Amino acid sequence: MKYLNIKTVALFCLLVSTNISLVAQNYKLPKYTSFKLPNGLTFNLMEQHDVPVISISAIIPAGAIYDADKAGLASLTATALKHGTQNFSKANIDEQIDFIGANINTYASKEFAGVSAKFAAKDSEKVLTILKEIMLNPTFNAEEFEKEKSRLLVELEQKKESPRAVIGTYFEKLIYGNHVYGNSISGTIASVGNLTVNDVKDFYNNNYFPNESAISIVGDFSEKEMKTILTRLFSKWKKTNSVRENVFVETVKKPSKSKVILVNKDDANETTFYIGSTGISRNNPDYVAISVVNTLFGGRFTSMLNDELRVNSGLTYGASSRFSTLKNAGTFYISTFTAKETTQEAIDKALEVLKALHQNGIDEKALTSAKNYVKGQFPPDYETTDQLARLLTEMFWYNFDASFINNFENNVNGLNLVKANEIIATYFPTENLQFVLVGKATEIKTIAEKYGEVTVVEIKD
Amino acid sequence: MVIKLFMKKIVIFILFLAVYTSQAQMKADDVKTFTLTNGMKFLVVEDFSIPNANMYLFYKVGSRNEYQGITGLSHFFEHMMFNGAKKYGPKLFDQTMEYNGGANNAYTTENVTVYTNWFPASATEVIFDLESDRIASLSIDPEMVESERGVVLSERSTGLENSPWRLLSESLQATAFQEHPYHWPVIGYEDDMKNWTQQDLERYFKTYYAPNNCVVVVSGALKFEEVKRLAEQYLQPISAQPAPPKVHIVEPKQTGERRITVQREVTNPYIMIGYKTPESKHQDYYALKILSAILSNGKSSRLYASLVDRQQLATVVFTDYGNSFDPNLFNIYAVANNNVSSDAIENAFYVEIEKIKNEGVSEAELQKVKNQKLMEFYNQIETIDGKSNNIGTYEVFFGDYKKMFNAPENFNKVTIADVQNVAKKYFSKSNRTVGVLKTNVEE
Repeated sequence: MKYLNIKTVALFCLLVSTNISLVAQNYKLPKYTSFKLPNGLTFNLMEQHDVPVISISAIIPAGAIYDADKAGLASLTATALKHGTQNFSKANIDEQIDFIGANINTYASKEFAGVSAKFAAKDSEKVLTILKEIMLNPTFNAEEFEKEKSRLLVELEQKKESPRAVIGTYFEKLIYGNHVYGNSISGTIASVGNLTVNDVKDFYNNNYFPNESAISIVGDFSEKEMKTILTRLFSKWKKTNSVRENVFVETVKKPSKSKVILVNKDDANETTFYIGSTGISRNNPDYVAISVVNTLFGGRFTSMLNDELRVNSGLTYGASSRFSTLKNAGTFYISTFTAKETTQEAIDKALEVLKALHQNGIDEKALTSAKNYVKGQFPPDYETTDQLARLLTEMFWYNFDASFINNFENNVNGLNLVKANEIIATYFPTENLQFVLVGKATEIKTIAEKYGEVTVVEIKD
Repeated sequence: MVIKLFMKKIVIFILFLAVYTSQAQMKADDVKTFTLTNGMKFLVVEDFSIPNANMYLFYKVGSRNEYQGITGLSHFFEHMMFNGAKKYGPKLFDQTMEYNGGANNAYTTENVTVYTNWFPASATEVIFDLESDRIASLSIDPEMVESERGVVLSERSTGLENSPWRLLSESLQATAFQEHPYHWPVIGYEDDMKNWTQQDLERYFKTYYAPNNCVVVVSGALKFEEVKRLAEQYLQPISAQPAPPKVHIVEPKQTGERRITVQREVTNPYIMIGYKTPESKHQDYYALKILSAILSNGKSSRLYASLVDRQQLATVVFTDYGNSFDPNLFNIYAVANNNVSSDAIENAFYVEIEKIKNEGVSEAELQKVKNQKLMEFYNQIETIDGKSNNIGTYEVFFGDYKKMFNAPENFNKVTIADVQNVAKKYFSKSNRTVGVLKTNVEE
């Protein structure tokens, strides 16, 4: 393969680039309608009749930030939604879904829990009924819970076999510290080991409510009929009047000194590393401009980072950078890997590229290229019912509207060189950088010490 | 969004296949084709649903065209195709494409090397110019060769570093195939990777990167006539080459079970079982694909329900029967649960296989997989990328893109007896290779 999907990962997920200027001017988000049930549950409906399929994306404010001292609980709760309901056993749900070739996925992210589904339009009544059961009436079968938990414990152990699978969690903990955004979504072996089926039931009862939730449905259906079905199915969901504890009392602070977490993996042949700092929240007014500048720095194949670390020096298969955003905060990081013998060379080069970004800024030609690229790569991000359903859900969660899409082209075009260079100075860190290195500690510890105060941890711990 | 006329037609085609055969013919006609005088074949799908287009170039060259000493060269060549030609020198291919709003990637398998360009339709001519330049006059700069060697060595290393499957599957493949080129990994042997010569690369380019060894698929917001005009202008002047040498090695029949063990620090053992099965063009292809889905597609599938859910022997199980030009493997993969031996998993798997061989599968299971295949098809044709990739794959592996349109029908034709028969025919002890990866290999 030429390039490890770093491109996709490096760009700001799907929301970055939004415009169709090159051929179809004035692209608008397709028409959709929203309505709220008396219990507060929000629906977004968008008819798309091209293919006889329907996609659903539901969002519930029940992510890992609500785990408190039970890391992994939100995630396990979301998974356990499919462990049987008042009317269907787990096996029954699995069989029904598989038989019609549908899929239903339940998961928790850092901030919210989600349910996504895709199915043939003719099966919508059946799938919606199951979805309703999963979301409103889960029974959390104890036997299924134990099976799930034991599988999860093995998977957590196995993740330690892959540096790429664990490095993000270490980095987030380093940046966010004790803020709830530092919570690990999947939890640790110790924390998950202590979880019980009653914890899951409590978490569901305390966090799954309609009044802060939304369900987006995109595909081949009639809006009117769909509205009737949804109203019938979801009106029974009881709203809550209780106010949850505000988990955001801590603020995310910029780091005051450089730190290095060295994760020792004895059999490592490579060093996998992140370098970064705090970033931006999703609602940052410069969000679009930052994504354009990051495209140049580390968001595409010819980016400064990939050019220097891969193309010019052959040190790695790929180097990239990313702003990862949440509602109230975010991270920025450079990400790459190299043979353990070239660890220092690769880290130094990455730092040089960051320094060069600040010292030299960017020029008109580069900016034009990045703008064209961001605009040109946008339309395929909104091609499928899945992508559109997810977009509507994220609009709900991050509180932005269609103008973000509809004005995107203007926003990209409006970015000039002065502003772009301001963006660099404001948002790309220069000092007190934070490092996570996963590799063989005995061989790279002295190198690690050059970059900040080192803490060595074992990948197996 | 907007109108995806092409998809609608296909959908109708599937649902009413049996009755309206004549209409079905019309649907395949949505793919328009032409062949340049130099033998380069084009498949074009007009689709104005988004203002973008793509170009997929399928070269019929992969690691099966290599021999020991140059293993991994096909994949390395894939990288070198981005490193400079006559008009667009080093770095300019990517810089020009990205400046014009386009992105690209490429992949190499045992059978093919595929180049993928995704771009706003307004940039189409630039893409033709870029492709024409590198196909007609790639320049293989020795300095670029050296730095790119580091890149692919890193690619190999990071694959091994991050997944035990890589090591296990390469070892299993090497054991299952003793003579045929499927014996070595696509990425190549590390020592070969360090020793490719300039001559190897030049010969490879001339032999395999000929227009007559390439199928091009273009989908998106473009008119057929426009694609044809650009192809004639930019690609027709490139000379055809003699047909590449045939891969003449046929893997001798396997006459007994083969077993390997690989050491690596892992929590629990990884198990892989590979059965020799035929190439994509073979009549048993559809029944084997269905068998694969019955075994592992979804939580109600036989292996998941039995090994992961009921018996809790494994935490993960999946199967794979991919596309190939020559007979390859039907693979089963599993990761052991705590305190479960690889033997226990292996035996549980054989029990499930024997059940299918002796009792067959149920009508409901068969129907389930057919339903899943239809959804799979919808997903594939929902995007212009899915269209290009699938049309190209059917053209190259099945000899005719029209087979894509027949696929639902071909799956529907598969009977319970067919599935049972392929299980009996291929899932025998003497036809399998078993691989286990674990920490303690001395026990």
